[in-house]
Order: sequence, then structure tokens, then C-alpha cells
Amino acid sequence: MTSGLLLLWPSGWSRERKSSATMAAAGVALVLFLWGLGRLLIGAPEPIGPVAQQFAQGTRVTVELTVVSGLLGVAIGVLTAVARMSRFPPLRWVASLYVWVFRGTPLLVQILFVYFALPGAISLSDFSSAAVALALNVGAYNAEAIRAGIQAIPKGQTEAARSLGLRPAQTFIHVIFPQGIKIALPPLVNNIVALLKDSSLAYSIGVVELANIGNRVNAATFQPIPVFLTTASIYLVLTTVMTQISGAIEHRLDIEGRI
Amino acid sequence: MSRIHPITGEHREPFILAEGVNKHFGKAHVLRDVTTRFYAGEVAVIVGASGSGKSTFLRTLNRLEKHDSGRIVVDGIELNDDVKRLDAIRREVGMVFQQFNLFPHLTALDNVSLAPRKVRGAPAAQARQAALELLERVGLQEHAHKHPHQLSGGQQQRVAIARSLAMQPKMMLFDEPTSALDPEMIKEVLDVMKDLAASGMTMVIVTHEMSFAREVGDRILFFDEGRLEQEATPEAFFDAQQNNRIRAFLGHIAH
Repeated sequence: MTSGLLLLWPSGWSRERKSSATMAAAGVALVLFLWGLGRLLIGAPEPIGPVAQQFAQGTRVTVELTVVSGLLGVAIGVLTAVARMSRFPPLRWVASLYVWVFRGTPLLVQILFVYFALPGAISLSDFSSAAVALALNVGAYNAEAIRAGIQAIPKGQTEAARSLGLRPAQTFIHVIFPQGIKIALPPLVNNIVALLKDSSLAYSIGVVELANIGNRVNAATFQPIPVFLTTASIYLVLTTVMTQISGAIEHRLDIEGRI
Repeated sequence: MSRIHPITGEHREPFILAEGVNKHFGKAHVLRDVTTRFYAGEVAVIVGASGSGKSTFLRTLNRLEKHDSGRIVVDGIELNDDVKRLDAIRREVGMVFQQFNLFPHLTALDNVSLAPRKVRGAPAAQARQAALELLERVGLQEHAHKHPHQLSGGQQQRVAIARSLAMQPKMMLFDEPTSALDPEMIKEVLDVMKDLAASGMTMVIVTHEMSFAREVGDRILFFDEGRLEQEATPEAFFDAQQNNRIRAFLGHIAH
């Protein structure tokens, strides 16, 4: 399902070139959007125009929160997936316990816990607390997606690599992981899109991100329809940019030309 | 005793010694007291019906399957749970699989050069040059930059052979290398294997290709219900077979 930006490029371009061009275009679009959003909204009628800079700032915070916790969450997901398949039982137990707890409790409770309940010695700012809670939450879901991808790789791949003399770690890094992550990519993207939207829960501990701005502006103006339409539209632009980038990554990894 | 070649009677150290090897899958006793030797420079061909244990035996020789009892010694190193020694043996013993097992995310060239770079630490340019030469040897130099899914089954298996050769193994194991191929592609793979045999490579081959076995094999091993039932020269095995079960097996295969 080649779609969106990928269709813009000349058909003669190679897969890598189309993919890189798409990622670059989506990246540029995101930067332009973040940079130009304030200028764009300032021309809007009441009640949006006067608070354009607040919306722009809230959007930047939402993006920062998503990027930080998304990167951390992918790293946590990879490490946890590996730990869950370890030959060393305690490592498997710890990883399973983590996934069980973070998939089985509400994200809102996790955010509140990290912000309010951690001991004073490691007390974090509101932004850091939200980033940590979001990363741990999405990491648990990512771990399951990555584990499923890795376990879908046929046993013959490991046998071939080991019979060539590659050590278990080399077999994983060069043979199993690159194939497994490709299978895990669509659910990973789902998780990250959900993360972008879930980052709105950070408003509960006072992070001034996009949903919080919407809420504040509504409280001051009592005009929920334009305020929340604006808020939702900005989220929609962000998730659309994200699916363009992930589509480009998928296209690059799809060397068998299935999509 | 162990130094006497079972057929030629020569006194030589075997490259692989298997002694009283047993293996179970659950309740199934798939290898029963298998004892044999493989010598440097020899081409041994293992035949037998499906489920006779021949592939399982081959896979115990580089420990893709663990044996339950008995002893397997490869190039002077006994196979056990010592992973370091096992890796050392696997670098010396190449393996070619029925399903090719090429790495689908890598080009033919990268499939061949991966192990030399990562295991032997060969510089990229040198590994690449060596891989191109090996692909040329199996007649696929123009396909070096293709991914496995762009190649036919026969081409994939030839890449797999080149990939094994890239580690400069002392010995090659072939596990039914042509069984997954369309008939018109079998010959191109067997031709590569014949060239390899002619170059003096030590080979152990599990196959159903009887004419190939007769032409290339120095020795035929027949497995039946987990037992090594017979070891013989190709002439004795195919032309002067005394064993009725084996005669029946050969009749089924040939006609």
C-alpha cells in the first residue's frame, strides 16, 4: 500500500531514494509546521488568533514529549524483547513482570505515580515524569510487537548463521533482528501514533502541551467548538506526518517488493 | 581399529569420528548406535527412506542436533556443550540446507561476505572481492546485487554453496540440497557440487539423487530406521547389492 508522499517521486527512483526523499519531505513538513503554526493561527478569528503562540508552544511540547518518549520506548522495547527471550530465567521474569504491570494498569495512573509517588531523591519535573511514564508504557507494548516479529523468523535462519560460525549475538544482530524489526514495524508505528495521542494525558500533571492549551483556552473563552477543532486538527496533522515517515521506513525495508 | 578405513583399509586419522551415536525425539528413537568415520578428501553419500534418520545424523555432525549418547569427534574436537569449541568447529564445517536458508534481507554478495567479515574479521573490500570470485565460481557473478527473492531456487542454492565456501571450510555437509528444487534446476546445483568434489573437498551429502551418488560418491551409507545399515562403494552398493531391503529401496527410487 504505497501511498501519500511516496507517490510524489518519479517512478524511476530506487526504493531507498524514494524512502529517503519521503522522510526528508516529512521532516521538513514537520519543522515548517512547528515553525509556522503560530504565524498561521495568528490570522485566525477569535478565539484562536489571540492565543496562536500558546497553541504553537503547546504543539512543540507535544512533539518533544512524543519524540523523547518514543525513542526511549523503542530502546526499552528492544531490550525487553531480548530479555523475554533470554536463556537466563531471572531476566525473563523481570521483563515479563514489567510488561504485565505496564500493560495492565492505566497510563494515567502511571503518569501520576511517576510524578507524585517517586521518592524525593529522584523527583522529576512534570515534563520528565510524563516522558518517563510514557516511555515505560509504550516500551511494554513495543516489547511485545518486537518479540512477535523476532519469533516469526524461521529457525533455519539461525541454523544457517550458526553453521557459518556466527556467534549467538552476531546471529541476532546481523540476521534475526533486521528481519524481525521489519515484521514488527506496523504494530510499532501503531504504538507510536497512540503515544502521540496519549501524550495528552500529561496535562493531568500540569505539562503545558497541546491538550492542556486547548483546555485552558476553552476555560477562558467558553468557545469549545473552535478551540477543540483546532486542537484535534493539529493532532491530526502530526499523526499524518508520522504515518508518512513510517510508510517510508516500511517501503525501504520491504526489499521483497510486497507493498 | 579406528584408523582403518572401512572400505579401502587404509590407515588414516578420520576427519569425523562418530561412535555409538543415539538420538531420541521424544519417544522416537531416531538414531540407533550409529558408528562411522569420514576422511579428508572423501565424498560420502548418505541415502535412505524419509524418516530413516539420515538428515538427523548429518545435523548432529555440526551439532544442529545434540546427540543423546555416544561420541562425535570433528577434527580432533569432541562435540559437547562447550560453545567456544563448537563455534570453532562450525567455522571449519560448512552446511548447505534443503530450504537454502539464505538471508532474505541481504544481497547475494552480502550473504556470501557476511560471515568472513563478522567471524574472520576480513576487511570489507577483501571479503567483497572474495565473495565475487565465489559467485563467479558458481556462475552467478551477474546476480551479485540481487536479493534472494529475485533468484530462482537453483540460483539460491548455488549462492548458499558459495556462502558456505566463503568460510573456507575443511568439510561441507549437504542436507538434501536438491529436494526443494524444480527438476530443471537440480542439474545446475549438482554440477556445482561435482566441481567441488573434483577439487578435493571433503563432503558428506544426504540425497535422493542416486545417479549423482553413484557418480560422485566414494562411499555410500544406507540408513534404515535410525540404523546405519550398510556402508559400501558405489559399485558394490548399486550393482552388487545383496540386501533385499536395500534392493527394494533402490527399485522404488530408480523406477
